Amino acid sequence: MTHIAPLDAAQIKDPELLALMARAEALGVPDELFTRIVARVPAYAKVLLNALLVSHGQGSVDHRLKEIIRIQLARFAGDTYFSALRSKRALAAGLDEATIDEGCNNYEQGRRFSEAEKIALRYADMMYLDPNQVDRAFYDRLKQHYSEAQIMELGGFISFHYSMQVFMRTLGAVPQKPSP
Amino acid sequence: MATDWRAVDAAFYDQLRVYYDEEELVELGTFIGFNIGYHTFFGTLKFYPMFSPDGRLVSQEESARLYGASPASLSGTNLCNAAAG
Repeated sequence: MTHIAPLDAAQIKDPELLALMARAEALGVPDELFTRIVARVPAYAKVLLNALLVSHGQGSVDHRLKEIIRIQLARFAGDTYFSALRSKRALAAGLDEATIDEGCNNYEQGRRFSEAEKIALRYADMMYLDPNQVDRAFYDRLKQHYSEAQIMELGGFISFHYSMQVFMRTLGAVPQKPSP
Repeated sequence: MATDWRAVDAAFYDQLRVYYDEEELVELGTFIGFNIGYHTFFGTLKFYPMFSPDGRLVSQEESARLYGASPASLSGTNLCNAAAG
């Protein structure tokens, strides 16, 4: 039982929110539990769910890389809910658990990642581990691999998903069913 | 939530319920989470308010002098300790 109880699914009748929930179900992140909790404030639920979906699923940065970053952050946050979820789209594109584990634990020394992927993983890592290291020089290195738009895409994605993870970690939440 | 999140447990939520209903708890929790996440990101971008406290449009250099070149959110390792602890 989460510390804030989710609404019953039948209580959610807003068509816009139901459409967003269907998109989330198709992606696999977040599952219905997150929405049923935040749906206690319907206006928030729509904005938050849409922002999670857009930042994760749209843009020009590889979705598989974003999925690894999302799980890296959730594990770092100690969030049992978001760290257990998996994007069905990323899995269908070939992402596997070994790559996720290397991205979370050993991306610098590992051989699975390009220099561009490594610096994106480092960006997420340092953002909350030691943000003082994310300085002008670091952004200059990021710009060798990513456009300004992609850096905003990454920064917004990292900070927003971490935002919801630090909330969910306080609720004692776990996914409703195992990810595929 | 930022500095000692494991203390935000069932008992703490029960204390919150003395003052806030379930809807307000969701509102507070997501708002606080959003601010924890975004202020750290914004802090790395080194941008400052466009206006001085008395309402003048100021340069980023002057704004940094007025508001401080090192936001408090970047001055310690509170979030890191909370996450790694």
